Amino acid sequence: MRPRFLFATLCGLVLAGLVHIVTVLAIPALSESDALTRSGTSESLDHPQRIYTLSTGDNPAPAEAWLPIPDPSVAVGVCAYNLEDGPMRVSARTGPQMLSLAVHGRRGAFYAVTDQAAVRGALDLVILTRAQYDEALANDDENEPSRDVRIVAPERQGYVVVRVIAALPSQRPAANEAVQAVSCTIDSPSEEPAKPNG
Amino acid sequence: MTSVSETLGRLRAPRAETAEGAGRPSGGSVGGLVGRTVGRSAGRFLRKTSNVGLVLYALALGAGLGLASADWATRGGYPFGGVSIGPWTAWPRTGSVGADPYARAVNARRGEIPLAVGEGMLVTAATDDSGATLDATCTYRLAGVTPPARAWTLTIAGRGARDPARPPMREGFTSTEILRERDGRFVIMVGPEVEPGNWLPSPRASGPVRLALRLYDTPVAASTGSLDRDSLPAITRLGCRS
Repeated sequence: MRPRFLFATLCGLVLAGLVHIVTVLAIPALSESDALTRSGTSESLDHPQRIYTLSTGDNPAPAEAWLPIPDPSVAVGVCAYNLEDGPMRVSARTGPQMLSLAVHGRRGAFYAVTDQAAVRGALDLVILTRAQYDEALANDDENEPSRDVRIVAPERQGYVVVRVIAALPSQRPAANEAVQAVSCTIDSPSEEPAKPNG
Repeated sequence: MTSVSETLGRLRAPRAETAEGAGRPSGGSVGGLVGRTVGRSAGRFLRKTSNVGLVLYALALGAGLGLASADWATRGGYPFGGVSIGPWTAWPRTGSVGADPYARAVNARRGEIPLAVGEGMLVTAATDDSGATLDATCTYRLAGVTPPARAWTLTIAGRGARDPARPPMREGFTSTEILRERDGRFVIMVGPEVEPGNWLPSPRASGPVRLALRLYDTPVAASTGSLDRDSLPAITRLGCRS
């Protein structure tokens, strides 16, 4: 009785280890409150969905905040993308405030850039799949090379996070507007060859 | 989760009893012949059914312990992956593709969007320099410098949701707002009492608090090994309100 009971306990412990590992690995895929799932509602918008709006004199409470511990002086917006529809273009104009863009996939952020990388005050990211990247390379005009930053995404679904830091409370309204001013549009394949002219 | 552990406890209790019950008649020399045969047949019966019982017990133990430990490990903060520098802990990898599965599970459960490596880094502190937990009733002095960064913010938070009855007060400082000494060093006073200079009020009346230093656009996110105790502010406890 005793050795069999010990054996059963041992089996149970081994099983517990397996269940633990499987559960931890499955949580990101099964979670309904994670950033990827929640950002999915913004897919039809052409500007970032507000995630954390800084409190200003007029509206003190950020109602749409779902970040657990947000930074009270950083405005956050998110643009979800699905590369099935075509490459995603994120355009930002740099301003006096520090701005950063991070591209997150299911496994985490695979690209991040701040406004210091901007060329002539503009930051253009194009997120594409490997196939779309090859197509864009083939369509490139040799005389007029594209100035976009092209990022090959590991997965088709993900989101772009826009963060603007308000160094002083008086800059908070401007930071909220700067997040909204970033544009997230889908590059349709027909526009792709004509784009360098525009 | 509690129901699973309860059933587990219920399952385990009769098992221990039967093990004792099977052992007692054979061990007791005073027990009569009737008692011995009853005990033997009961033991045989138990041995036949116990295979199913033991399998069920092992399955319940596996499922209960596995789920409970997974829940415990992914609740609240990141279980590991931090680089501790004195009282501070830097979290350079929590937002990157190289994040460990536990950090990813924690982020997914909380809906957190962590800072990417190229974007910045989160540094937290839950204790002071002597190792005692930061408490809302105590006054602390944060003095020193921060690692090189284009901007940083220092925020304070208690555990759980914010108390709605408390009036909204300052939750943090940015690197631009802070009053500095002539050599660029700064002192921030954290505590429940009003202080001159940079005063960060305690977020709640009592209980543990945590400090979060977010460094934006910093080169140290890629090499946390270059950080040492002197490159982060020291946290000294000055006294507590009893």
